Amino acid sequence: MKKPASTAELSRAKQWLKQQKSIAGRSLTASIVTSILAGFCLIAQTAVLAYLVNQVVFLDQQWLDHTPALSVLLVLILIRILLIKYTEQLAFKGATKIKLSLRNSLYDKLITLGPSYVSEQQSPQLAQLLQQGVEELEAYYARYLPAVAFCAIIPLSILAVVLPIDWLTGLIFLVTAPLVPMFMILIGLKAESLNQKHWQQLNRMSNHFLDVIQGLAQLKLFNASRAEAQAIADIADKYRRSTMGILKIAFLSSFALEFLATLSIALVAVIVGFRLFWGELDFAIGFMMLLLAPEFYLPFRNLGSQYHAKMKGVAAAQQMLEILNATPAHSGQGKAKLNDNNQLSICFKDVSFNYPNKEAAISSISLTIDGPGLYGVVGPSGAGKSTLIDLLLAFLQPQHGHISINQQSLTDIDKKHWHQHLAWVPQNSQLIYGSILDNIQLGDVNASTEQVLAAAQQSGVDQFVNDFDDGWQHLITEHGRGISGGQKQRIAMARALLKQADILVLDEPSAHLDSETEQWLNQSIAQYAKDHIVIVIAHRLHTVKDAKNILLLNDGQLWAQGTHQQLLDSSDLYAQLIAANGELSQQILAAAGNNQVNLNKLDVDCTHTTGRNTNSSEAKDA
Amino acid sequence: MLKPNDSIKMTNSSEKDESNETAYNSRSLILRLLALAKPHTLWLSAGILLSLITLLANIALLSVSGWFISAMAAAGIAGVTMNYFTPSGVIRFLAIVRTAGRYGERLVTHNATFHILTHLRHWFYLKIEPLAPAGLHAYRSSDLLSRLQHDIEQLDNFYLRIALPVIVAIIALPILLTIAYAYYPALALLLLLALIAFALLLPAYIAIRTQKTGAKIAQQQQHLTTAIIDGLQGIREFEIYAVSALQQARVEQCSQTLANSQSSINHVNGTAQSVSLAIINLTVFISFILLSSALANKLIAQDQLVMLLLFTLAIFETVTPLPMAFEQLSATLASAKRLFMLADQSALREESEHSADISQLFNKQQLSIDIQKLSFSYPNTPSTAVLKQLDLQIKQGEKIALIGASGSGKSTLVSLLQGFYPSPNNSILIGGIDINHCSGEALRSQISLVSQSCYLFCASIRDNLLLANPNATPEQLDQACRIANACEFIDKLPQGLDTWLGETGRGLSGGQARRIHIAQALLKDAPILILDEPTEGLDPISEQQVMDAIWQLMHDKTVILITHNTRLLKNIDRTYVINNGYSQELVT
Repeated sequence: MKKPASTAELSRAKQWLKQQKSIAGRSLTASIVTSILAGFCLIAQTAVLAYLVNQVVFLDQQWLDHTPALSVLLVLILIRILLIKYTEQLAFKGATKIKLSLRNSLYDKLITLGPSYVSEQQSPQLAQLLQQGVEELEAYYARYLPAVAFCAIIPLSILAVVLPIDWLTGLIFLVTAPLVPMFMILIGLKAESLNQKHWQQLNRMSNHFLDVIQGLAQLKLFNASRAEAQAIADIADKYRRSTMGILKIAFLSSFALEFLATLSIALVAVIVGFRLFWGELDFAIGFMMLLLAPEFYLPFRNLGSQYHAKMKGVAAAQQMLEILNATPAHSGQGKAKLNDNNQLSICFKDVSFNYPNKEAAISSISLTIDGPGLYGVVGPSGAGKSTLIDLLLAFLQPQHGHISINQQSLTDIDKKHWHQHLAWVPQNSQLIYGSILDNIQLGDVNASTEQVLAAAQQSGVDQFVNDFDDGWQHLITEHGRGISGGQKQRIAMARALLKQADILVLDEPSAHLDSETEQWLNQSIAQYAKDHIVIVIAHRLHTVKDAKNILLLNDGQLWAQGTHQQLLDSSDLYAQLIAANGELSQQILAAAGNNQVNLNKLDVDCTHTTGRNTNSSEAKDA
Repeated sequence: MLKPNDSIKMTNSSEKDESNETAYNSRSLILRLLALAKPHTLWLSAGILLSLITLLANIALLSVSGWFISAMAAAGIAGVTMNYFTPSGVIRFLAIVRTAGRYGERLVTHNATFHILTHLRHWFYLKIEPLAPAGLHAYRSSDLLSRLQHDIEQLDNFYLRIALPVIVAIIALPILLTIAYAYYPALALLLLLALIAFALLLPAYIAIRTQKTGAKIAQQQQHLTTAIIDGLQGIREFEIYAVSALQQARVEQCSQTLANSQSSINHVNGTAQSVSLAIINLTVFISFILLSSALANKLIAQDQLVMLLLFTLAIFETVTPLPMAFEQLSATLASAKRLFMLADQSALREESEHSADISQLFNKQQLSIDIQKLSFSYPNTPSTAVLKQLDLQIKQGEKIALIGASGSGKSTLVSLLQGFYPSPNNSILIGGIDINHCSGEALRSQISLVSQSCYLFCASIRDNLLLANPNATPEQLDQACRIANACEFIDKLPQGLDTWLGETGRGLSGGQARRIHIAQALLKDAPILILDEPTEGLDPISEQQVMDAIWQLMHDKTVILITHNTRLLKNIDRTYVINNGYSQELVT
């Protein structure tokens, strides 16, 4: 939910919006010029029409006698039409340029700010801003800004024409004109504060709807889904009232405007009428005044109707500025290249990290990962495992301490270069829009077909790829649609294996997989670990049982490290974790496969290895 | 490698929607939208009346002003007197009617429209509620949200900017043309032709040119959003595989495609705008010539030319909103179509009227579960059987476990037991009653479920618990939390049970959330308990706490436990293996 903005923030956002005009190049300025030229044409048009009417009505002339004036009128009309057409096109072109460029720079900036910023701000919200928020700027640039310029020039031009030829009408314009912006500002201020509340209401409604939709199955389970209909009606009704509250104010502002404009036009008509009656005024002039009166107020009305576009644009701009002005969590980025030895060694020395306004996620961790092998990272949730990995992947930089790779400080190494040495498979892998093959080849664009096939085989992709009619060319669209979670995970694994990176980092690689595939995958990982560094964050501890070194994290600290057996002997916490872990799921699943296992025997094994289990069930029995 | 210029071939649900053209043509959509507004007819009629008054007052204002200045000028030149008090009074009166009428009209019509939208949201929810969850699987929640929110919002265009101006124009134009006819028939003919061009031909042109693109835009926006979300959520991987640039290119491509569609719509609009301007100005131009000849031939009076000229100018105000109205039409109808298509789906499981009564027969003491030769395949993949001749007998109070590889049909069975899908007749009996004969609500009132996919709402912990049993006393809540091992962390929260759970229950760990679900199940106290991977996704310590709570919960229930975790099998009477849709008892 958005907090109300301060005045300083608002004016900064307005300032910034104006600066972005330059992106559009000349289009926006050109569109303003053409719209103003069209305005001039209109003034000329009224003069010619008034002249013609006077000739025909009061001087008893035939229209045929005035073909030159008629031709001028026709030409003016045509020019004006063309100008309006260009105005529209140029304005849109300019606004589009700005939209595309801003969307691009926002996306770029978010990538630079890195994963911690993105997950803190929540990607759906950010995507909403990049899509809808940026779209909202179109109305700001293509409608509101031209309306402002038009409003600044056309009424003044009309005044400049009117004052010399009919000072009284000019005076009416002159007196009423300043009242218009005054009213608009007064009412606009009120509307602005209401608008903030309205967005909150909109957000609230939207959150509530999303909540209900996501939890609909749960509501049904408790037979509460019908009762929820009333809550939906209530919140929708609140939203309606809030919208109407805003609109009442907005309508009041246009009411004030129209009231002024319409009364002034009526006044001009009546006064012109009387002066014509008294013979003080030429009819052509009087008629022209009557024709110009509505045109004088029209720009203000247009501006008023674009006010909403402005408010939306400024609100979006504020959020964009927050992103564009955010500083990356890591200070500068090194440019050095990594000294590629055949063997890499990673060294954390006294490393601490804390997220803004939070307790330390990692405190004073020192560890060394030297040479190929399987390394496990284990610990209860919230122990700092993900932060540790983000530090290693150089997405975060430690506030204290040093991370070095082959004695070279990680902060000095070019991030892109460092990433070439890494492969990474998270719990929920993200694939790109493209075929299965495209996605695997991301690991190494130059890999040979044999290498791709080998990686696919090791990760189990080849087991399902032929289930698709289009096989390797099967298209994975947005959100990885078109394949299952487990398949996605295996493609991500193939991609990682193909890269043959020095360091492979896996976050709970078996989360979405059935046991058979999991076993298969673990073999491939063990194979890979023979000549590479493989770091596995594991919840199912059997994945890392044979690891060369297991790092046990707890509360952001390195609690203990060692091999499985060493830890089992030395660390109570590790023993607990092992005890609490379903050690035997391998066996039971084998049982599910061939249906020949004696469960009672399993239970015996279970109690044997897991002391805590027995205790708890005894506690229950008692 | 990925080619950013590949033509986009999307196979998502919204595109499949397009196939069903006939039932959702513009005509039937418009009629349905109008029918939905029926409860608010009174407000809408008031709005139409006010719009009409405002419109006519404005046209009268301009015409009378034109007549007034010519008459005054003519009287001045001729040196005769005239009654100028009445017309100048009329001018001021019309000015006030116009302004006040406009304000009133806007208030009334907007209020009516938003009432309709509120009603629509409620209506739409009631329509999709019976579909959930089985019928909504194909839609992502963001998609449903955008229908409930954006698509319905879009419909205000239909009432405010399409239906209202069209109705007002239909009423006003005959009146106005009759007036023109009374003064000078040729003028009426000219106006009729111009108005037809303006109000019918131009909108038709716009509709034809923008129809396809309008429908495409909504989809392209969706693609763009997803591409951005994918890019942001996958930021770590894309950086590491050095393909951030590729994803960015994809975002740019989506952005550009959208801009191109918008540009083609804008192009049509620009043309339409100039054409409409041309029609107005040329009509004024021609009517000047027409009226001048009429004046020369004494067919109209001297003071009538300016009046009729201004009348000509003003009459277009009746139809100026129409081209824009039709521009909105395609996007609005696309929204309406998306809403109706979803709302029109019939629930997968038909529930007959009398089904609720049969559920009264449930005897809480004798709820055995009898599954006989249950075969099932999902409605959208009828050829793939998920369950094949499954047999399972569970006596009252018995506790059984189901194990088996993922995809073997365990979760399908859970959905069937909850009545989310229709099951073959006499294949699932609970307490001796075929579940097809009782309503989903009655069925679910006998069942508690704890699973990984259970959901916590953005509400206080207390409200979430009360959902399971709205009549629970504070003591019962406390007790449930204690048994579920949830007090351990709830007591540490500053606001205790009144702690507000943020978006998707954020602020709680997986294990804590799971324990709240167990507390919910305790509060609901249904005789049948289904545990679907209750410890999945938990770290070992939380898992232990959750398991302790589960054993408490299972105490006097008939239990179906689905798990990979052997430690949970401790207190289980019998274990079945489900493999490829068949069940086999493992060891007794």
